[in-house]
Amino acid sequence: MAQFPRFNVSSGAESYGVLPVWRRFSILVSAIILVCGITILSGEALPATRDADFNRIAALMLTSLPVLLWLLLSVLPEARVDRPRRRLIGVAVVSGLTASAIGLPLAEGFFVVDQWLPLQSVFQRIVGYTLTAGVIDVGLRFLVLRYLIYPQALRVRSDGVAYALAAAIGYSFYLTLVWVWRLEPTWNQAAVYALFSFTIQTASSLFIALGIIESYFGDAFPLVLPFNLLIAMLVAGIIQALLPGLLSGPLSQAGSGDRPLFGLLFLAASMTVSVGIAYFLYSNSERREREAYGSQGGSDGF
Amino acid sequence: MVARADLMAFETGRSPAVQITQRQRWSIAFSYMLILGGLLLGANQRDGLLNQTSVYTNNAAGITASYPARWLLDESEGTVFRVRDMSRLGFNTTIEVRSLPVGADGAERNLLDHLSLQRSQVFIDYSVLGYDTFLLPDDTQAISMTYTFVSRDASPFLEGVSSIVNGLDILAIRRGQALIVSFRAESSIYQRELATFHRFINNLEF
Repeated sequence: MAQFPRFNVSSGAESYGVLPVWRRFSILVSAIILVCGITILSGEALPATRDADFNRIAALMLTSLPVLLWLLLSVLPEARVDRPRRRLIGVAVVSGLTASAIGLPLAEGFFVVDQWLPLQSVFQRIVGYTLTAGVIDVGLRFLVLRYLIYPQALRVRSDGVAYALAAAIGYSFYLTLVWVWRLEPTWNQAAVYALFSFTIQTASSLFIALGIIESYFGDAFPLVLPFNLLIAMLVAGIIQALLPGLLSGPLSQAGSGDRPLFGLLFLAASMTVSVGIAYFLYSNSERREREAYGSQGGSDGF
Repeated sequence: MVARADLMAFETGRSPAVQITQRQRWSIAFSYMLILGGLLLGANQRDGLLNQTSVYTNNAAGITASYPARWLLDESEGTVFRVRDMSRLGFNTTIEVRSLPVGADGAERNLLDHLSLQRSQVFIDYSVLGYDTFLLPDDTQAISMTYTFVSRDASPFLEGVSSIVNGLDILAIRRGQALIVSFRAESSIYQRELATFHRFINNLEF
């Protein structure tokens, strides 16, 4: 008895009808790391300014940088393709709103992480941030993706990555904005935090996307999606636990200084490793699916 | 290489209206369970670390107390001991235990008035808010006094903003000795931190 193949290979025209994601994604990430890196390096070389207005404007510009680049590289080009992803803005906005309404109040008001986590050992900090901030951030973004795009807006695998990036952009924008507004950092400190927030949310979002893609397109074993969410939480927990220690300099008689370059290198490395792993798993699963289709199609004569 | 992967993208054969499969339903259900379980574990870890206590014993004063483990203990002059939450910016939340000898006719209210007189010379804008009774864990009655004052950074070079502090004194007299347990916290977090003080009082033995 002939078996119908589960997936159809899209024709060239269908593939071209959807905006490619990975190249734009890597340009976006590289540009943000580059701009924040230059700002951090400039902060090391130039004397610090105490002009509050200048610092606030520069900080707000750095906060908006990921959103502007994302609009430029990912959202606007959607208008030029035949089958655009119509919910990108909606996912980003709802993610930002959930961060505002649930994420931040839960982390600060209920878990009060600042009171008990920063003074713990590295291992306890990783576990603590994974189980608090990691679960909240990843859980909320997963819920947003689940109810806004899964499964109705998923047509090709890259949709999962594009929407997960939108969720990360919206979520990290709100968190950075709150921090910049509350603490009024200098422009180079704002660059560290903008990169920090973007890296945590984007790196973890990639693993949420992988889970959703495997679950929906591969109809994977039911534990694959929660396992990916767990990895996403762990990524968020590790970055959040390790960065403050790297940023703080050793204590000396002259006091303790900041080491923003260490933070920059750590965040750039974290992002590169996360994107590398996510891309490898993504292309690997796509290849397996293609091979599975090929063998099935061949045997069935399709 | 990146672009090629996008060009080789797959389309599902399903229409967007197609429902998710039973396996996908399970994976979503497991994901919800993971999130809920993670939050519960996080809350459990928070409670464990926030409420972790150390034991302080002073045989001379006959006092045993459990205080928050992450707070700093010191036995400065004029007090039996004092613990402070040094992780807090601004005014450090403080619990202070003092012991004073009292005569046979020593009234609790007189002691509190004496304390108020002393404090009004030390604290900025010190003002008593009221007196009440307080039931100790062993069901004996003590008297309580609430007050407020303004705290300013000791160092003028820090250029810190002053904070309004709320305080609560519990006074109990036993065997010719008055025990005064004072709790002070910034007014914005006073109500929240009061739970820590109640736990402290519940475990206090003297």
